[in-house]
Amino acid sequence: MTAAARALLLRDLRLLWRRRGDAFQPALFALLVVVLFALAFGGDREALAPVAAPALWIAVLLAGLLALDTLFRGDADDGSLEQWLLAPVPLPWLVAVRTFMHWATTALPVLLATPFLAELLHLPPGQLGVLMASLALGTPVLSLLGAVVAALTVGMRRSGILVALLALPLYVPVLVFGAGSVAQASQGMDPAGALLLMAAGLVLAIVLAPLAAAAAIRISMG
Amino acid sequence: MNPLLRWFHQLGSPPTFDRFAARWAPWCHAGALVLLAWGTWLALFGVPADYQQGDSFRILFIHVPAAWMSMFVFGVMALYAAIAMVWHIKLCEILAMACAPVGAAFTVVTLATGSIWGKPMWGTWWDWDPRLTTELVLLFLYLGVMGLYHAIDDRRAAARAAGLLAIVGVALLPVIRYSVVWWNSLHQGQTIRMFGESSIDPSMVAPLWIMVGATKLWFAGSLLVRARADNLRRETGKDWVRRLAEGTR
Amino acid sequence: MSYLGYVVGAYGVFAAVLAWDLVVPRLQVRRELRLARQRAARQAATPVPTELTR
Repeated sequence: MTAAARALLLRDLRLLWRRRGDAFQPALFALLVVVLFALAFGGDREALAPVAAPALWIAVLLAGLLALDTLFRGDADDGSLEQWLLAPVPLPWLVAVRTFMHWATTALPVLLATPFLAELLHLPPGQLGVLMASLALGTPVLSLLGAVVAALTVGMRRSGILVALLALPLYVPVLVFGAGSVAQASQGMDPAGALLLMAAGLVLAIVLAPLAAAAAIRISMG
Repeated sequence: MNPLLRWFHQLGSPPTFDRFAARWAPWCHAGALVLLAWGTWLALFGVPADYQQGDSFRILFIHVPAAWMSMFVFGVMALYAAIAMVWHIKLCEILAMACAPVGAAFTVVTLATGSIWGKPMWGTWWDWDPRLTTELVLLFLYLGVMGLYHAIDDRRAAARAAGLLAIVGVALLPVIRYSVVWWNSLHQGQTIRMFGESSIDPSMVAPLWIMVGATKLWFAGSLLVRARADNLRRETGKDWVRRLAEGTR
Repeated sequence: MSYLGYVVGAYGVFAAVLAWDLVVPRLQVRRELRLARQRAARQAATPVPTELTR
């Protein structure tokens, strides 16, 4: 299984390297959302600071949603996904490895850009730490839940708004606990409870989401 | 073979189910209408006005049964989907997908009546309180299942995919509710309760349970008709459908 | 404060949604049967040969 994982990771990295520019598209989209937010508020520092953390969470969430399309589409198009079904390695394992790779290449750049984006929205000084922690725990969950949705719609041509509709209810708890933890911290309360809940959610998602996504792929391909 | 088991197996055959649904659906709806009429009469005229809320609390008799049904139908949908997935029973796929529009309808009623009830009570048409927010997310889940079912061409794959989504949804629903309750307590310090401080008057119990029974019976009727329509759509071109269609003219 | 409008509105929405739920599926059933009838009529008019001919 580790040999298969390594092979898949190397292949994904090689493919990614050939289209290096694509890796920054989610980060660029998050930046665009941030810019639009700032412009809608007229750039007013007093108005932006209280909403900076929620706005950043939304920007990261939307960027992840857009990136979901590339999770399985490339492999579905060139027939690799059918090879996955036939592989001697368990399908959930392949899904988990692919999702991790996808998170590392699409969400991680956005995470690294977050401090810079936070400055654009005048995020209050103390909140950056909690925000980064909540994003670090939350974005993998979003990727894993998104993998289930992407697997359900992998066969479809123009699934755009349907993917967003399917993903939104699943994303609600992550967004609520993520943005909520920062809100808790800003009110002087301890955000550890919310962050621990997100960590627990992450563990559950790592175990269950690949299983659900694998079942969905079998349904879509079979 | 056990007669009940045999009846259950026979029901899975499309023409048998069509006959069963065509026969029983009108009775379910008729019975539901009788109960609805009785319950509505009691709710509007039989129960005294509430001490604090005046007559607006009469909306409770639709809002609460609709809210309970919106949750109940989602559970039933996920259950049918799970049975279909494990035992590969085609009828259960059809029943699961037939649940979705009915559940969505009850969710819309819950949201609308909640909003209308909220205006005289809170002074606003909408509030992001945990119950209404959860209902809104539930509506999106229903719409997602319906959208997915109609987006995939192969009916069986579509039912299985939408069924999987329903199962994932039912697993996440408690998490969603908990997250919204937690978030609400964070921002307001206390949750607004629909019933206020007054306890439920004994005279309110009867109309409430009548309406609950009415909505359940209605759901059964609608489920049968919608499943019948889907069954006919899937089996179109078969001989029994042709004979049935020509016989009805 | 008169609550009449609100109560009427709420019960009205309930009635409207139930009416929709009652009518639409029955229309769907009728539509499916009509389509089957039309298909049967089409096939009766131009008989589809079931034997292969050279």
